[in-house]
Order: sequence, then structure tokens, then C-alpha cells
Amino acid sequence: MRALRADSASQIVHALRAWPSIQQVAFSGMVAYRAEMVIWVLSATLPLVMLSLWNSAAAAGPVGGYGQVDFARYFAVNLVVRQLTGSWIVWELNWNIRKGELSPRLLRPMHPLVYNLCETFAALPFRAGILVPLVGVLALWRPELLFVPSFSAAVGFGVALLLAFVLAWTIQAIFGMLAFWFDQSMGFWSAWFALWAMASGYFVPLDLFPEGWVDFFRLLPFYSTLGAPIDVLLGKASMLSVFTGQVAWVVATGALAAWMWKAGIRRYGAVGA
Amino acid sequence: MIEVSGLTKTYRVPVRPPGLAGAFRSLFSREVKEVHAVSGLDFRIEAGERVGFLGPNGAGKTTTLKMLSGLLYPTAGTLKVGGFVPQERHPSFLQQITLVMGQKQQLLWDLPASESFELNRAMYGVERSEFRRTLDELVAMLRAEALLERPVRNLSLGERMKCELIAALVHRPSVLFLDEPTIGLDVEMQVQVRQFIADHNRASGATVLLTSHYMQDIAALTPRLLIIDEGKLRYDGALEALSRQVAPERRVVIRSVVPELLALGFEVQGGGMVATVPAGETNGLIQRTLALAPLVELGVEMPPLEEVIGRVFREGRPGGKR
Repeated sequence: MRALRADSASQIVHALRAWPSIQQVAFSGMVAYRAEMVIWVLSATLPLVMLSLWNSAAAAGPVGGYGQVDFARYFAVNLVVRQLTGSWIVWELNWNIRKGELSPRLLRPMHPLVYNLCETFAALPFRAGILVPLVGVLALWRPELLFVPSFSAAVGFGVALLLAFVLAWTIQAIFGMLAFWFDQSMGFWSAWFALWAMASGYFVPLDLFPEGWVDFFRLLPFYSTLGAPIDVLLGKASMLSVFTGQVAWVVATGALAAWMWKAGIRRYGAVGA
Repeated sequence: MIEVSGLTKTYRVPVRPPGLAGAFRSLFSREVKEVHAVSGLDFRIEAGERVGFLGPNGAGKTTTLKMLSGLLYPTAGTLKVGGFVPQERHPSFLQQITLVMGQKQQLLWDLPASESFELNRAMYGVERSEFRRTLDELVAMLRAEALLERPVRNLSLGERMKCELIAALVHRPSVLFLDEPTIGLDVEMQVQVRQFIADHNRASGATVLLTSHYMQDIAALTPRLLIIDEGKLRYDGALEALSRQVAPERRVVIRSVVPELLALGFEVQGGGMVATVPAGETNGLIQRTLALAPLVELGVEMPPLEEVIGRVFREGRPGGKR
């Protein structure tokens, strides 16, 4: 156990030392693929489409307690959370496992998942760079959406956002690792994404669902990856219950991901090492 | 440095009958076939040795290299490289080894190779000054100065292989696993890569285990041979000893055509003549040849390596086990 802790600590120190170079190379990669990156990132701007729909619906009066400004605020935060918790690990792992391109990464003295995490962090400034003009345009269109949150809401939002990022990344890694067992594992991800879009608050604020459904959806992992930080910032859910749910899902999915990696890597040879 | 005992790898491969009916049947019952890629390999390689790993396609060479580098888990047997169990992939083990696969690449495709080198520097925790020194050495040895700043996708196959070798060696590994590093390269580039591997081995004292389909690679680089076929070790020993044992004849070669020599068993080949005789009869043949044609230019050769290896595969284990 002590050795395991020492290994994990040395991996973290190693990752931190390597971080500037990984950041630099990842940024070069994003510049090389700039057109694709912009399209990828813009493809995650569905909240803006949903905002236009709900904005029309609320033109005659509030819908389930949400007026036009409430919807604008909800989907603006939705957009920010979605961008800052996004990663590409499901596609990368799937591709790397099936094509044998995981091999060079396995040969380096940095865990491939730690490396991917570094790459994902490296993409954050790029994602943030696209967010700023989008939110700016939204704010020009409806200036009332801008607000100053309380200190506790701002800190709580930061914590919930970090937990949402870790959970979303871990869940993507789990679906990516299914490629160790299934040839066409991306089908599982598509099914998951459809459920996620509905139950996370991506399309609709969850409190527009009937009461029993809201409580049920808030217990599921989908909510912890998106709706939870939004609700914390907008003061629509108790921080304690949100954090408890997020931490529980991070622990559960983390354990599953660790088991899958260990079992999957033993099978790797069968799929294309 | 490398100890392998009873190493075995069995793949379980799904089998599906062809056609729609086969696809439908496989929905309900999936048939799995066991493929014995490697069966009970035993060998030992000392630090600094250069060893050639030979075998026909599907013999188990690449599977063995992947087990030695920790990419694959063995089904049975034990193996140690530099004191480590490879499949545990301990960071200190990964610092010691490198695996170059001629058919797979580690370079970032759309970026200049220098970015991949920098990434490896960071991943392996190499100090910048040491990295600079190593990189300069490797680039000079491979004459790769002009390649570093061009996107990898714009490099030729041979240029890419040079950059692959640099990327694989920036952390100065003490064990090199090279899986067909010259595959697909033109003759000139093959010679350069071969020379580089030999120079690097001399300069660094690294252990080299190399697979190749090109016998020239083996002849030029590896004094010791491991021959594997159907997952089993057929030969482990010196290249010359193998030639003597499996092909104990010599080729007496004359650079011109002298019709009188046909009577001695010579055959016309290209612009010259060749006679193949048991090694013990070589001197007698040379004397008879010179008696008939005192001015001919004459040489004695071992049979081509391809022929020797081919005989091992056809005729089975020659019994040359260390």
C-alpha cells in the first residue's frame, strides 16, 4: 500500500514536471488542427440552440418559474460548464486501443491516462478562448444575464465544476476502455450521450421535469457532470447534497475505471497491441 | 540482462463463419480458437549483446518482443529484463528500454519531429542539457539535421524511421528492442540505419534484440541468432556456427566463364561460374581449378544466409542450443 502511494505520488510529481512540455506540444497540436478544434468546440454549443427555443417559449411568460433572463442565465452557465468539463478521451482511447496506438504510450514512464489528463487540461485555455466571445455575444444580447454571485456560491461553483470535470473525464475514460472488450464500443457512448443530454440538464433545466423525476435525476451521474455546478452557482440546490452526490460518483466511477484499466490492459494484446 | 524461461503466449481469437448465416450464428454462440503464438521459449541475453531474432511470418517474434517490453502479458512462463518483470511496467523499467516497431510509429503525425522529441524528453524526465547532447549525437549519427522541423507527415518512410530511432533513444535506454526497423526502406537507407544501430551499440554498450526479414541486417549486426518457428526456439547460437552446421558446403566462385571448368562441376551464373562443394573438398577443387585455368579470379563463399535460414525452417531444429 505504501509502495502504491509512493508510486502515485511520484507519478503526480513526474506529471507536474512534464506539464509545461505536454502543454506546449498539445497546444502545437491544437494549432495544427485548429479548424477541426473550432468545429469540435462549436459542436458543443447546443445550449445556445436550446436557449433560443426556451427563450421563445418564455416570451409570453415564465415557464415553470423560468423567465427569459433565467433561461439566458441557465444556458450561459450550461455552456461554460459544458466547455470546461469537456474532453476527447473517449474517442482517443477507443482509437488508440483498436489501432494499437496505445502501445507507444504504454512504453513511456507516464501512465497513459495521466498523460491524457494533462492533454485535457492543456486544451482548457483553448476552450476558454472560444467561450469568452460566445458569452460576450450572449451578454450583449441580454445584459441582465450577467450577475455577481455570492462568495460562497462562487467557491461552491469552482468545487462543483472541478468534481464535474473529474467525473465527466472518468466516465468518458470508462466508455473509451470498453474498446478493450468490444469492437464497436462507441455505440455504448452514443446511447449514454442520449441519456446524458436528457437527464443532465443539457437540453432542459431539470426542475422543469415533474417533481419525482427531478429528485430521481439528481441521484444519477448525469446531473453531477453538468446540472450540479449550474445549480450551485444559481443557488438552486444545496451544496452539501450536490457535493455528496458528485464525490460518491467520482469514487464509484474511479474504482470502476481503475479495475477496467487493470483488466483491459491484460486483454490489450487480443485487440491490436 | 534478459532472462526468459518457459515463455508462452496463447491468443484466444474469435472465429466467425463467412456470410450472413455465420454472422447471425455468431450472435448466439461465439466460437473461440486458441492460437499458440509462443510456446515455452527459454533464452538468456547478456548486457551489451546484439542478438538477431529470426523466423517466418507468424513465428512469434513480435509477440515475444512485445512481452519483453511489457506490452503483452505472457500466458505462462517467466521473464525478466534488467531485473524487472516487464508486464508490471515499472517506470524504472520503462526508463531502461525502448521498442521500435517498423510498422507502428510513436511520432506525432502532424507536428515536426522535434515536438515528439521534446515530449519524450519531458515524459522520461531527461534534463535539458543532457537531452541536447544526446539529440545532437543522434542527429549527427543519422544525418537527420534537415528533418527535425518538418511535419512528420511530410517525411519519407526512411526519414520517418530515422526520427523514430531518435525519439526512441533520447532517454538513452540500455535495452533496444527493434522490430523490423529497416522494413520498407531503400537499400541506401537500410545501410544507414544498420550502421547507426551498430555505432550506437558500440558507443552506448546497449543490449540489442533485433527482428528483421532482411538477412543483411542480421549478417551485419547480430553475431548471435535466435531462430523461432511456430512459437518454438529452433536455434540459439552464433551465425557462423549455424552456417557450418546447417550448410557445411562452400561456394567456389569465379568471376569469368571458363568452359573447361564445367567438367569440375562449375555452373554458369550471370557473368561467372559457381561450384558448391563440401567444406572439406574446397582446397582440392581450388587446386584442380587453378591447374586448368591458372589466371582466373577466384573466391570462396559461405552459402547465402537466406538459404541457411530457409533450411532451418524446412528441416527443423539443427540442435545448436546454447
